[in-house]
Amino acid sequence: MQPIQKIYRLLLIIIVSGLAWKILPFLASIIGMLVFSFLFTTIFLPSVDKMERFIKSRVLSVILILSSTSFISISFLALFFSNVSSQIKLFTKSINNEDFATNLSGLSNNMKGYLPDFISKLIPEGDNLIMMAKNTLVAIFQNILSILGSAGGFIFVSLIVLIFTIILLIEYHDFKRTLVQFIPNKYLEVGLRVIYNIEQQISKYLRGQILAASSVAMFSIIGLFILNQLNANITLIFFIGIIAGLANLIPMVGPFFGMIPAILISLMNNIGNETALLHQLFGVIPSPFYIFDIILMFIVVQQIDNNFITPLVVGESVGLHPMAVMIVLLIGGTLIGPVGMLFAIPAAGVIKVIIGEVIFISKNSHLL
Amino acid sequence: MKALYKNYFKGEKEDNPILKALQNVPIFSNLSKKELKEVTRLTHERTYKMDESIFKKMAPSEGMYVIVTGNVNILDPDTGTSFASLKNHDFFGELALLDEEPRSASAIAKSPSKLIGFFRTDLLTLMKRSPELGNKILLNLSRILGERLRKTNEELLINPNK
Repeated sequence: MQPIQKIYRLLLIIIVSGLAWKILPFLASIIGMLVFSFLFTTIFLPSVDKMERFIKSRVLSVILILSSTSFISISFLALFFSNVSSQIKLFTKSINNEDFATNLSGLSNNMKGYLPDFISKLIPEGDNLIMMAKNTLVAIFQNILSILGSAGGFIFVSLIVLIFTIILLIEYHDFKRTLVQFIPNKYLEVGLRVIYNIEQQISKYLRGQILAASSVAMFSIIGLFILNQLNANITLIFFIGIIAGLANLIPMVGPFFGMIPAILISLMNNIGNETALLHQLFGVIPSPFYIFDIILMFIVVQQIDNNFITPLVVGESVGLHPMAVMIVLLIGGTLIGPVGMLFAIPAAGVIKVIIGEVIFISKNSHLL
Repeated sequence: MKALYKNYFKGEKEDNPILKALQNVPIFSNLSKKELKEVTRLTHERTYKMDESIFKKMAPSEGMYVIVTGNVNILDPDTGTSFASLKNHDFFGELALLDEEPRSASAIAKSPSKLIGFFRTDLLTLMKRSPELGNKILLNLSRILGERLRKTNEELLINPNK
């Protein structure tokens, strides 16, 4: 290549990159929707392929599988929101009762009794604590309401993702063929292998994660049920379990998010209950409103998941070093927040496959 | 979305060169027209210039090729020996559908050629989507390999030093 051609090519790359950088913010939401659609396609593809075997129609298989999944998800969300709203109504009533103030003052005094002086000074007095708690709770409910307010946008995005997923699922194999047409002859077989390995990597990871999340959900429900037998009075255990399972999809930090709803519900339900306020874990460690019982239960569930279930169902599907997992999570989280953390590991897996193939190609270029 | 708006009253082109080429390949010989169409949906059409390499000896192998039009030479680049000169509707590289061993010879297009690629990943997809069809293809492939083995054995019996 002539030096002038090299300069032209470099200039072209710079201009195209600059344009892409400018356009990217406008396309980001569409790209995000496409990424979600692709992930859903990967999740549902094996089931659609299997169903197509029996009913001999791909369109019908896609419609049947997606409509049943949508029906279950919508029913779950509807039930969840109606239950949460009635829970909030009940709690708002109890907030206005005297019990709430008495309980918080009791909690403040209780904690002070157990803790050394220099720490107990940091705990606010009963009245301040009541004000703080009320303000915090009002802020939480306002946030919940604002999230519900943006449900319109969420429904629109979900609908678009659903349409993209339907098209991708019906035309998946044709799309793949079209993509392969763009691979130069020289790299055809290597390209096919890369696509296949990426598909395998993502689908293995996703199915493994879904299985692990389901097991976390199931064990959390069982754990909460056991706590209820010890008079923890935690309602909505089915939903809390599912949320914990879903939160578990984000490695490392997810499990901590998972226990928050259980603690909140326990607080809401046990306000005004003297026994719950004075409850002690194993009869030794003070655990007001069963907070430490809940934390311990989730830690146990996490241990079962990390040591028995995940190695079995996820295995070394991505094969990243724990240190690399942490770095990748931090990068994902910094770039696009919790969603970035959710996609960080499979994305790293895909990059790993591509790097592996690039190394292979550079080492064996004489064979291509 | 072809499947949704496909015009059922419009007749399919009967002289589809890809279907014709696949029909002549023993691996797809006893497949019905419908099954052949399903296979064509997974195959890849490629065009090669004269003297363009299709694959090289020792390169990782992924699948087989069927010649729609053109000529392909199978040769050993180290010794220069030409094993076969293939033309329209011939096929090569079918062993790669079963194993992941590197290519045992090189394939070069001797004239501008149009080939159909059918790869291991396509066969695996087909086996998942339509196991009966996948099994039919595998059985045909085994039959061909068995025939070849028998032929080699016979040749070795006639000429053990070969």
